[in-house]
Amino acid sequence: MGSQLFVEMESFQLTKTGQAACGDDIQYKVLKDENRYLAVLSDGLGSGVKAHVLANMTTTMALRYLQSNMDTLQSVETIMDSLPVCELRKISYSTFSMIDIRLGGITKIIEMGNPQYIQLRGTEEVQPLKHETIVSKYWPDRQVECYELKLEPGDRLIVCSDGVTQSGLGEGPQYRFGWRRCGEMEYAQERISRNPSISSYTLARSIAYKAYGISQNICKDDISCMVIYMRKPRVMRILTGPPYHKEHDNIFASHADLGEDHTIICGGTTANILERIVDRKVQIDLTKLKLSDKLPPAGRLPGVALVTEGILTLTRVCKALENNESVEDLPTAARKIIEMMLEHDKIEFVVGTKVNEAHQDPNLPQDLELRRGVIRRMCAALNQNFRKETEITFF
Amino acid sequence: MKKMTLEICSGTTCYMLGANNLLNIENEMPSELRGLAEVRALPCMGLCNDKELSGAPYVKLNGKVIEKATPEKIYDAMRALIEE
Repeated sequence: MGSQLFVEMESFQLTKTGQAACGDDIQYKVLKDENRYLAVLSDGLGSGVKAHVLANMTTTMALRYLQSNMDTLQSVETIMDSLPVCELRKISYSTFSMIDIRLGGITKIIEMGNPQYIQLRGTEEVQPLKHETIVSKYWPDRQVECYELKLEPGDRLIVCSDGVTQSGLGEGPQYRFGWRRCGEMEYAQERISRNPSISSYTLARSIAYKAYGISQNICKDDISCMVIYMRKPRVMRILTGPPYHKEHDNIFASHADLGEDHTIICGGTTANILERIVDRKVQIDLTKLKLSDKLPPAGRLPGVALVTEGILTLTRVCKALENNESVEDLPTAARKIIEMMLEHDKIEFVVGTKVNEAHQDPNLPQDLELRRGVIRRMCAALNQNFRKETEITFF
Repeated sequence: MKKMTLEICSGTTCYMLGANNLLNIENEMPSELRGLAEVRALPCMGLCNDKELSGAPYVKLNGKVIEKATPEKIYDAMRALIEE
């Protein structure tokens, strides 16, 4: 991992108020062997389920055409020809942005109808190397913008749906034309200047919520923001144990990256082992207890980011990762773990395999899975759904 | 009178067998007991595998273990300490 460049691709979406499904869709694909990173954001005509189907068809097709290096114009025309016609408007339509990043090479962006992407190097906007507009003879009203650019380490690409740039439209003189691309860019620059290493997820979420705030906390359209950040990989560790052999406690605990705040301890006995090492006690703040949480409260220990209960919390995290659940609705301890996972690129699990006999008590109100099974499932979900690298070491 | 120390185990077994209903005890105590104990949650007291004890959830009041703890058992133990 060391000096390798990591392409962090994350997004955040808010659904139009009153709709059950988001009418925008975002998909990614990593082609490791080719050093290519593909992403597509599409905004389907209208809103709700119908728009989502259009958007999802578009992202699925676009991703496939990008992967197979199909000619740009042919890709766009095929997508337009394939989309079902809206009964109400008698047209088939979706807007989209297709991104094809080649590490060490040229990055291509193809846009049709979506707000123009933003490339930032630090807080400075970077202009593309090349830009051309092409028009299909079959769809003369649809312009396709094609860009070529060079991404350097530290660069960010911000791509969004018009729900972001048009937020606040008509909300007083300041937003006569909405927030616009320039408003979005200024806000992103301000966030980056305050926190130069801000993660893609945090920046995307922050932009989406800013757009939501500008619209007086009502989503008048689906809001989607995707951020791609070229940077050095961030590694975090989760220690959950205890080790099968007690004499391995110290070496197990030595895997906690103390002082760096990149380590989470999951499990009461694991916490006790770490307490002995750092000679401090875990502090659990009961004043912040949420009775609706249905998980034991998280605590703090100097040198680590978070201390939580073990198997119940990990099982809840695993379920949320497998089902792509919104972090906002999760119990506090599970939410904090997932938020930290999203901030990192590689998650290393250090897993003690000792079974707590008390957990096998048939009187317990729910079955507790074995730790190593839950961790394996969690790694699969992190790989498949979040493009994270994972590693497991058993003790 | 010196404040009592009430430690609640919030480990997996204790939490599932009832400690979840004890964590907010400070705000639910009868008025005569409120403010008399410093309530803390601990990650795990390691008592759930002790065959000598009768069962979780476990709490400690001034270091003394209360087994199968309920709010009522805790209040009674606090009242007994006050009377001592």
